[in-house]
Amino acid sequence: MFFLGQDFNFDSDFKVKLGFFHFSSCSGCQVAFLDMFEDLVEILDTVELAYSNMLTKKKDVPRLHIAFAEGALCIEDKRHLSLAKELAEKANIVVTVGGCASFGGIRRLSVGSQAPQPSHQSFIPLTEVELLKQKIKYAIPGCPPNPSLLYNFMIALLEVNEDFLQPFEFMANSKDACGFDVVKEVINKGLCVGCGTCVTACPSRAMNFNYHYNRPTFKPTLCVHCGSCLAACPQSFKPYPQPIYT
Amino acid sequence: MLKLDRQFLFGKLKGIYEVTCIKENPLQFILKEMMKEEFIDGVIGTTQEGVKVKPQLFIAPEEIRLSRLYFHSGQNTFLKKAIQKYRLNKIAIVAPSCIFDGLNKTQYYGIGCNWAKTAVALKVGILCLGITSEEGLECELLDITGESKEIVRNYLSPEGYFFETNSGEKIKVNMETHHHYINSGCKYCLNLSARGSDITYIPLQNDRSGIFILRSERGWRTLGILQKKFPEAFKFRLLGFKDISYVEDLLRQKLILNIDYILERVEMGLPVPKWNSNRFRKFYRLWNSVNDVNIEEEAF
Ligand code: SF4
Ligand code: SF4
Ligand code: SF4
Ligand code: SF4
Repeated sequence: MFFLGQDFNFDSDFKVKLGFFHFSSCSGCQVAFLDMFEDLVEILDTVELAYSNMLTKKKDVPRLHIAFAEGALCIEDKRHLSLAKELAEKANIVVTVGGCASFGGIRRLSVGSQAPQPSHQSFIPLTEVELLKQKIKYAIPGCPPNPSLLYNFMIALLEVNEDFLQPFEFMANSKDACGFDVVKEVINKGLCVGCGTCVTACPSRAMNFNYHYNRPTFKPTLCVHCGSCLAACPQSFKPYPQPIYT
Repeated sequence: MLKLDRQFLFGKLKGIYEVTCIKENPLQFILKEMMKEEFIDGVIGTTQEGVKVKPQLFIAPEEIRLSRLYFHSGQNTFLKKAIQKYRLNKIAIVAPSCIFDGLNKTQYYGIGCNWAKTAVALKVGILCLGITSEEGLECELLDITGESKEIVRNYLSPEGYFFETNSGEKIKVNMETHHHYINSGCKYCLNLSARGSDITYIPLQNDRSGIFILRSERGWRTLGILQKKFPEAFKFRLLGFKDISYVEDLLRQKLILNIDYILERVEMGLPVPKWNSNRFRKFYRLWNSVNDVNIEEEAF
């Protein structure tokens, strides 16, 4: 498996070591991740949660095969900078979880300088940090992502199911995500079929629908830049696994 | 070149029946009775006020009034309401295949609608030759007849594809003309017969009859239950492919137009969505390189 890296030692690394890391965020993604971990019971003999600020007591970041990270990087926060360095060193691959880490998310709306931490003024998604770029292989959309998506992603990653993983690879190179995506990527390219899926997929009611013209409409002020609308749109990439035509 | 064989046009199926109902439109009757029996607790489909078609969520059997003009818009916007407001968990969806494609991606939905897919009890696909906007339909009619008309139904018959006006006039629609006016998204569609649904419904000239292509165990059971319960209300006629050769011809004509469109798009290098730059190119490669592949699962 590609994420096992060169230094895979079968005796000590019998299980695939995962870590979950928290940058500037509401922790919703970590809750969704831990939610899905319950369903992973049947594969707990193959994976081990080696680091999570919520569940494990470890202070030091161990060597990891896969690091999942939520939240945006605060440029003024030294701890964030050193955590990013550590991840670049110690993780074989990094997967950004949720809008904040992948595309900036709700942090795109932040003007910084809030009362409790006035020095924290600027936030960027992890996918924009040059040091982490070589390590970030996949980005998962959502605010937070659906636990069932995280589960299927996890299984696909362990099985190296490339058909399932490919869109997430594309998303890692997609710096921005918002409702304009469906306008730019689907409607303007003549691919919208007017199904309304993007409206149901949007967690923040930023997507609406014009039933006369049969097209979605977008209110930018309500958008939290999670990427769910484009990811759920049947015209952005086809559902995988493909529906079984029985 | 890939063959546009039956398997590709119709998909897998268990049986084809012409169903006639003495009470009302058979699909509408079936949905009402299914809801009365609590096999389903809601229907998402489209309804009609005169010539206006709009998506609708029906939560009581007496409310169900399906549109006869099978042109959809935005059925999936009602999923949120069905799940979050009404807490429905046995929804029947009556729609063309692209709506089900959206439904097959529920794992990518934002929080709150995670389990939308598990709330769906029955998928009735509508055989769809492409839909137009209200304006598109108006222009299409002007093109065909030279006059403005109010269309209230569309259906298939051995003579071809027809629109019916509110005065009962029947207007034959040529596939090439229709292709010109449909939504541009429909011009890239390769699943016109709603493969992947439980039942595909094909509207016929007589509104009290329709062709039901049964695809899944669930679809099969649905019809079985209703037939048992109302033996006097339904008449079933088992059909073979030769009985619906006119449907096959229309599907083939329309798909060839769509495939032309896809190939042209790739040759022109028109942009595709950033998260799947391969979609049409993959089809193009398959189309040009192999003789007999089941592209249904591979490319679309
Ligand atoms: S993406 Fe949403 S849920 Fe996840 S950490 Fe950011 S704000 Fe919270
Ligand atoms: S429009 Fe909605 S789903 Fe799309 S990115 Fe914005 S918040 Fe997310
Ligand atoms: S989800 Fe449906 S309505 Fe929304 S952009 Fe995609 S095709 Fe259009
Ligand atoms: S032609 Fe295809 S994309 Fe268009 S409405 Fe019908 S099923 Fe949907």
